[in-house]
Amino acid sequence: MRSRRNDEPVHWPLHIFVLFMVLITVYPILWVLTIAFSGGQSLVIADVPTDATAVDRLRAVIPWPTHLSIDNFRSLFADQPFGRWLLNSVLVAGLTTILGVFLACTAAYAFSRFRFPGRRAGLMAFLVSQMFPGTLMLIPLYIIIVQWLGLGSSYIGLVLIYTVTAIPFCVWMMKGYFDTIPKELEESALIDGASQATIFFRIVLPLAKPAVAVTALFSFMTGWNEFIQAATFMNREDMYTGPVGLRFFVGGFSQQWGYFAAGSIIAAIPVMALFLFLQKYLVSGLTAGAVKG
Amino acid sequence: MARDNSEQRAARPVSHRRRFLIGLAVAALLAVGLGAVLLAGAQTAERRERAERRALVTLSTLAAVVDRASGGSVQEAAPAGTPAETPAETPAEGGMGLGAEIAAAEQGQAPAPTDAEAGAIRKAVEGFAAAHPEVAAIRVVEFEGIRLAASTSAADQGAKAAPRRLERDEKPLYDLGQRLRAAVESNRQGAEGAARAPELGFERHPNGVLALAAPVERGGEVIGMVQMETRAIPEPPSFAWLPFAAFWLAPVIALLLLSFVLGERRWPLATAAALFLILALFFYGRYATDVLKAERRASGQAVAAQIGDESKKAEALLAQLALSSNRPAGQPLASTLWDVDLYRQSRGLIGASGALDEGKLGELAGVDAGRMTRSVGLLALLSLVLLAFVGLGWAARTGAALVEYRAAYAYTLPALIGMLFLVFFPFFYGIALSFTNANIYNTDKTIFETWVGLQNFQEIVSDFHIVQHTPNGLAWNYQNFYYTLLFTIVWTVANVAIGVTLGLALALTLNLKDFALRPLYRVLLILPWAMPNYITALIFKGMFHRQFGVINQILQTVGLPAVAWFDHPFSSFLAVLTTNAWLSFPFMMVIALGALQSIPADLYEAARVDGASRWQQFRSITLPSLKPALVPAIILSVIWTFNQFNVIYLVSAGDPGHSTEILITQSYKLAFEQYRYGYAAAYSAIIFLILFAYGTWQNRVTGATEAIG
Repeated sequence: MRSRRNDEPVHWPLHIFVLFMVLITVYPILWVLTIAFSGGQSLVIADVPTDATAVDRLRAVIPWPTHLSIDNFRSLFADQPFGRWLLNSVLVAGLTTILGVFLACTAAYAFSRFRFPGRRAGLMAFLVSQMFPGTLMLIPLYIIIVQWLGLGSSYIGLVLIYTVTAIPFCVWMMKGYFDTIPKELEESALIDGASQATIFFRIVLPLAKPAVAVTALFSFMTGWNEFIQAATFMNREDMYTGPVGLRFFVGGFSQQWGYFAAGSIIAAIPVMALFLFLQKYLVSGLTAGAVKG
Repeated sequence: MARDNSEQRAARPVSHRRRFLIGLAVAALLAVGLGAVLLAGAQTAERRERAERRALVTLSTLAAVVDRASGGSVQEAAPAGTPAETPAETPAEGGMGLGAEIAAAEQGQAPAPTDAEAGAIRKAVEGFAAAHPEVAAIRVVEFEGIRLAASTSAADQGAKAAPRRLERDEKPLYDLGQRLRAAVESNRQGAEGAARAPELGFERHPNGVLALAAPVERGGEVIGMVQMETRAIPEPPSFAWLPFAAFWLAPVIALLLLSFVLGERRWPLATAAALFLILALFFYGRYATDVLKAERRASGQAVAAQIGDESKKAEALLAQLALSSNRPAGQPLASTLWDVDLYRQSRGLIGASGALDEGKLGELAGVDAGRMTRSVGLLALLSLVLLAFVGLGWAARTGAALVEYRAAYAYTLPALIGMLFLVFFPFFYGIALSFTNANIYNTDKTIFETWVGLQNFQEIVSDFHIVQHTPNGLAWNYQNFYYTLLFTIVWTVANVAIGVTLGLALALTLNLKDFALRPLYRVLLILPWAMPNYITALIFKGMFHRQFGVINQILQTVGLPAVAWFDHPFSSFLAVLTTNAWLSFPFMMVIALGALQSIPADLYEAARVDGASRWQQFRSITLPSLKPALVPAIILSVIWTFNQFNVIYLVSAGDPGHSTEILITQSYKLAFEQYRYGYAAAYSAIIFLILFAYGTWQNRVTGATEAIG
């Protein structure tokens, strides 16, 4: 038997490498936390005097605020319309989730369980639509949603767009999961006299809970994190979503970095928590098709 | 005989006759129905425009009368040319100054209006209102002193009767006046061909109530505004049921009669049905053109009559008010200039003599006819397809399939409808737009009117000026398509290479047995993926700030000079590359880690027993096992990076000078900053073609979509 030392590489240089990567990964996050809790709007962590010593310079790059304050969070809701923007985001993302999950589940169930004319074409169409570049869609969508339907600066317009954006991925993901649920369950239910709808809602959907959760997460994140379409369609300031509002703080000549940092943390924490909680499923969904083959 | 035939074939109950009759009925219903709706819409629009033109004539008359009334009396009160009456003292900030002005007026600083002038205007307005029962309310606003000089509105009675100062809540009225004044002045100064601002206020309320406003001028200066509101005119629905029914049923009846002769013979029936459909549409087009032409003529005549009428009424009113002697330079009322558009330019439809200009009318009719021909042609095409669909039995087969698989279709329908209307239709509409020169100035035109064929594509693809000559020698032309394409490819390759390298290295490290703190590392390293990428982009934008950014401060801490990151293409590229590398490596790491953990340990065991070295194990076991997971991940990541809008748009914004623009941000800017919708659509279509070619090639190489099953 060979010894472990010959077989496994020495760990400590690898630890240095990984620690370095962790530092790079974590630094921007600590930076944004520092700015958020600094209580001011400035980009700098600490002022550097003109005749700065090495210590002064070092102080300015260590992500810890010179004094802790939650003023930025307070005035984000008291003085800035951020609460309203967040509410817009919640509504848009929530409605997108409900609509997206419902549409994706029904469509994926049909694609998984029935063999019907147009099935292949439909599945392929969902896949191909992922290749349409966003800006090619943006111009006609703008004309349709804003000029024809008059849905500019409205929840409905944005929810519809986000839903169809999320559907293809969700359909493929759900179809993959439905394929793994044994058909015998449904057949026996059918023999017991259950209707098609009962089977779908009472048997298949409960079994597919993990996939539904991932689909919901994906739909929610589509609506919650989307920037460019919201920026294009929501022109009224009171209808901005979170991302558009955050960009409003630091876009153009506006330099309200404190508000931006505080708002970013509020906007990022729910999705980051959800993501870390559910990422296992997301990854397996992404690679399911590939690993199987 | 035909009946006998069909009865004999009762076993196979397919009746071509019935199919074609139904097909023709449906197709003709669609075509003639849509045509009738379009015609009714055009008629309503023309009638509406007629009412508008007539109202504008009345407004012009009113403005002329008020001009006379105010001009006359003010000349009595203060001779023209004295500095006191220059209205330029009204602040230039437009409406914003009203509050301040009211305050000033309240302090008694505004010049007191003369009673004589106010009386003249009021009398003129009352006389005018009495002669025009169709006008609901007239208000005259004077900018000097912000006064409501006269009003016949029901709201301005009693304590609020004119003349009085405008109240704060009437600011919109004053703002409207100031807008008109600004428009008149800028149009007067404006260069030939510059975009003009409308000089008349125009608003449409429900029930056909029009609210109009015109500036009142004196000596070339706008000193006030007259606003007029018409009474509600019911708009009768103009859908012509009788012609619609006639043109719809005529071909169906004709085919029915003919079918007694033709029997069940398929192709003669098809030919006859198509022929009747086309004939019906042809005659419908002629009929519709005639109707529109008559409508246009009626408008012209009505407006001409209105002008004659109004000019008589105005003369009478002015005579009654004894103002005619005070007309400036004794000008007659310029009644031929009353048929104007909102820019107070003559529409040119009515000649100086008050008669219709036949040439102009013919031109308009020609435009109408051309538009009608195109619409009818399109309708004919649509309805022929429908006829074939029903007549040749495809409809029956589709219907049968729909019934048989109704559960499956019911489940997929909601999602498919959404995709159809909000993904596929916009996609094809975008492709269609790419063949037009649509831009922000011609959005009201149809695709056919702005059609330019392949011009956009040719302009983009055939421009090879990747480098240009500058005083400093050769330089990249950052606006060129091929430069941006090259940059996008470099950007994509660099990002994916960094992502795969880092991701793989980290995954291999974290996959080591007994590697301390493994779960903690994994969670920390996955954070960038969980972070919304627009936030990442904005954070890095802040960190790369030239003066206050923390990255420059880190550089200075270790003794390096600060870098103006977004002032040079290469440093700008480094900045966006860093940002994207930061947010994209965890994806690769997680995918690779997942694949590594699914490799059975026995494989390595067996390899070790056979004496394979670590490198051999990696080459023969690890890499092949990683491939099925990594290849789709790389394909995905290539497409994501190629279309990574947020990082470029939010971090570098293409600076400096569009040098770090990728294709997708460039096309966004073409569309929403330069408003060249057609050109931008062509640009996007090319991006799509590139991605599509890439996807097809990848698919062929790797068979990534085989899972479709």
